[in-house]
Amino acid sequence: MAGVARELPNGVRMGHGDGQVNGGGHDDGHREFVETWRDTAYGCFSSGHKFCRNVCPVMQVTRNENHSPTAFHANVVAMERGHLTVADVAEDYVHCTQCGACELRCPNTLMAGDFYRARTRTVDVVKAMRAFAVSQGVEQPNWSRWVEATVDAKNEPVLDVPVSQANVRDWAEDLGIPTGGSTLLFVDCEAAFYRTSLPRSVAQVLRTGGVEFGLMAEQWCCGGPALEMGYPEAARTLAEHNVADWRGCGAERIITLDPHDYISFTEDYPRWFGDDYDFEIVHVTELVAELVRDGKLTFTVPIERVATYHDPCRLNKRKGIHASPREILRAIPGLEFRDVDHVTQWSYCSGAGGGLMVEKPEITAAISAQRLEHAARLDVDLLVSACVWSERPLTTAGLEQDPQIEVRDLMELVAESLGLHTAGVRREAAQQ
Amino acid sequence: MSAPPISDALYDELVGILGAENVLVDKPARYNRTRVPAPFPVHRWDDHVPDVVVLPTTTDEVVEVVKLANRNRTPIVPRAAGTGLADGAVPLRHGILLDVKRMNRIRDIDMTDRTVTVQPGVNMLKLNEVLQPYGVFYPDNPASYPCSMVGGRIGTSGWSLIGARYGHTKDLVISLEVVLPTGKVIRVGGGAGGKVRKSSTALTLKELFFGHQGTLGIATEAVLELVPRPEAEFAAFFSYSDYDTAYRSCGALSKSGLATLAGVVLFDEWKLDYLRRDDEAYIEQPSDVRCVNAVALYGTDAEVVPAARRVMEIGHDTGGRYLGDEVSQGDWAARHDRYAIPLHGRLRSSGQVVPMSWHCEDAALNYSVLPQVREEWHAIADRYIEGYGIFDDWGMFAYTNGSHAPWGDYLVEIDIGIWEQKLDDENWAAWTRCKTEIAAVALKHGGSITACHGATRAGEVDLVPSELGGAFDVMKDIKRLLDPNNVMNPGKYLFDQAYE
Repeated sequence: MAGVARELPNGVRMGHGDGQVNGGGHDDGHREFVETWRDTAYGCFSSGHKFCRNVCPVMQVTRNENHSPTAFHANVVAMERGHLTVADVAEDYVHCTQCGACELRCPNTLMAGDFYRARTRTVDVVKAMRAFAVSQGVEQPNWSRWVEATVDAKNEPVLDVPVSQANVRDWAEDLGIPTGGSTLLFVDCEAAFYRTSLPRSVAQVLRTGGVEFGLMAEQWCCGGPALEMGYPEAARTLAEHNVADWRGCGAERIITLDPHDYISFTEDYPRWFGDDYDFEIVHVTELVAELVRDGKLTFTVPIERVATYHDPCRLNKRKGIHASPREILRAIPGLEFRDVDHVTQWSYCSGAGGGLMVEKPEITAAISAQRLEHAARLDVDLLVSACVWSERPLTTAGLEQDPQIEVRDLMELVAESLGLHTAGVRREAAQQ
Repeated sequence: MSAPPISDALYDELVGILGAENVLVDKPARYNRTRVPAPFPVHRWDDHVPDVVVLPTTTDEVVEVVKLANRNRTPIVPRAAGTGLADGAVPLRHGILLDVKRMNRIRDIDMTDRTVTVQPGVNMLKLNEVLQPYGVFYPDNPASYPCSMVGGRIGTSGWSLIGARYGHTKDLVISLEVVLPTGKVIRVGGGAGGKVRKSSTALTLKELFFGHQGTLGIATEAVLELVPRPEAEFAAFFSYSDYDTAYRSCGALSKSGLATLAGVVLFDEWKLDYLRRDDEAYIEQPSDVRCVNAVALYGTDAEVVPAARRVMEIGHDTGGRYLGDEVSQGDWAARHDRYAIPLHGRLRSSGQVVPMSWHCEDAALNYSVLPQVREEWHAIADRYIEGYGIFDDWGMFAYTNGSHAPWGDYLVEIDIGIWEQKLDDENWAAWTRCKTEIAAVALKHGGSITACHGATRAGEVDLVPSELGGAFDVMKDIKRLLDPNNVMNPGKYLFDQAYE
């Protein structure tokens, strides 16, 4: 893959005279792109109210209007009119976690969403612009390397640990989980290689609740990150393998433990595979809440902690899943749960999503630090998340709080309160 | 037109003041700091692109940038949230765009003297999130509450939905620090510009810096009022089958003398038609609901409970039908979100939905002239809709306007949609003529062009001298005195005349 075809603007000083119409010189890709996205973009550009800005996690820390959801739409209009090119704007579109807060807060969604069945499509615009940039040879260096490594290893190159197909199931070594079956547990790359305490907890919680499940014969990355970074072909290749594996295993139901996978399997895969794609996709939080509700899981070990819950963006803002994790937390004995409602949490984020952590880790860190400041105001000693990608930067930020705030996954807590000894690794915490 | 790009020397000096990370020259940075939500001449986008964007974090940095601009005679345009509905933050002469979003520190929360001191890039919703544990709030509450910022509220002299109870921006900002166009820093407010609300020492200068639209300086810090969070809120919606009854009822409600009255809003028949047309925020009502008054009260339980009974009596006695708790509580809360949005645009010829930008005319008018202005304004809108096929009439609101004195005058708003994708020189010229005609009606009836947004928009700005008369000459003298080189937001408010 090519390197970055964009120079930073240091020393490049252009007056307004450079805004001459140059649209005529573009290839068909440019025309097709702006014609596809122009009307969506005008829905925002002609509004310009910018309600999105104060819920946007990136804008909250960079305070740079280039990174606002409004700019992501306005740029399309400017490209249509020949003022800007994809090379001008590509780097700005890195500044998005694809959390979806802007879409919810948009007056277009709020005030006309039901009537027109419309939701502002900023996440789609960002994904499309990133893919268009890559197609034009404008790549971001870390994303390029990340996707290349993912394609090579079939799993993401999560940091600090060896990643390969040879050890994708190491986390389950002593658990005796079968391969195949009608229900499969899909284990995200970050969980399989980095935070193995999570899949170990999930597996044992499900087993305790009487859920029979197996693992894939050969689990590859879901493809979601590659798609989010602008590499749809690579993502599609990974997805095709996974779906073929599911079919080969005789799977009917896929349990995900990561909200990012949940998005891939409920939004991207159906779009790619059409009517043939008839798998039931379940997020583990929904399933476990149901098991607790049905009395199939009973918490016995009190957890004497003061905790708040971090709504993962892809569960809360993208999929509307916010009740089941709270239901579980309220059922855990000994836990003092100090909740912040899910609408307030539209403006919360870990900053890990949408590839931001790979390309701009310093912005991710700032967003996570801000999230932990919200938690600290509640005088809690524990922040519970349900998104493994959020947990690494949130954990780092929690360790920087005084007093420190621990970050745990909801399923780790569930396992603990069920009296399960799950083992596995939570690496950042172990480093302290 | 084409002005020269900024020189290496100017760029280097800006970087020396702010650091390279706070000096942006890339095209997206400059193209995305041009428009505000008001209709924008998108066909002339290039005319409004700044040459460079700076993002200061301190007053000292603002001072140095302003001094540099003044020395070099470089235009400088302040921009806070860029959510205004006039064009204050839209550059007319390129130059330096000074974006205050990184000046977002809350410096001091003083619960003893009940003030909060902030930088201009602070948003009110975010501020009130921080203030909530203290049991107080900052009650500057425009429709743009989730996005606008204190600096812009000062520059435009903003209007608050609950201003009848708590006052508007100029009442709620106790004092402020201003960097003048020469780089001199002053504090204005009571006395020395600290935390004193009322002073009689010498001239009152504070209000000079409310509504100047960035032409007289840049607010870099403000001391704001803190108000006890209300124990009780009450909202009621009354419906009427004709405008005249609704108008009289609106007058009776606003003249009730209830100190907790936060506002009365009169919706006319065009507004009801528009809401019925496609806005699901308006819960479906019978066809004989032709006009609506919304009333809100804020205060202590001891005040609001009996006042609410009085409001219900007045509403009923003047011909109103209470629309029920669901509408009253739900819809008042939703007012902050009931923005006119592009998807509400319809073409009269075909009924087709097209994305339209929102013009919100906002004249200040006395109660006595509301019915007549309403007829004249809708007639103007109708002519332009028929003539050009790119406009839409989204109806009118009349909001009580005076701070703590809601009975005499109103912020009168006609909302007009404009299909920006179709703008060219001819259509833009038609639009500015339309605005001139609308503003002229307000002046003819003894009103003011604008109650809250500012009269800087193309079309209506031409009428400012006739609204102000001899005071406009004094305004020009003040501008020349404070900004001898015409560098602060040049081209606005016809201030070029001050230098002729």
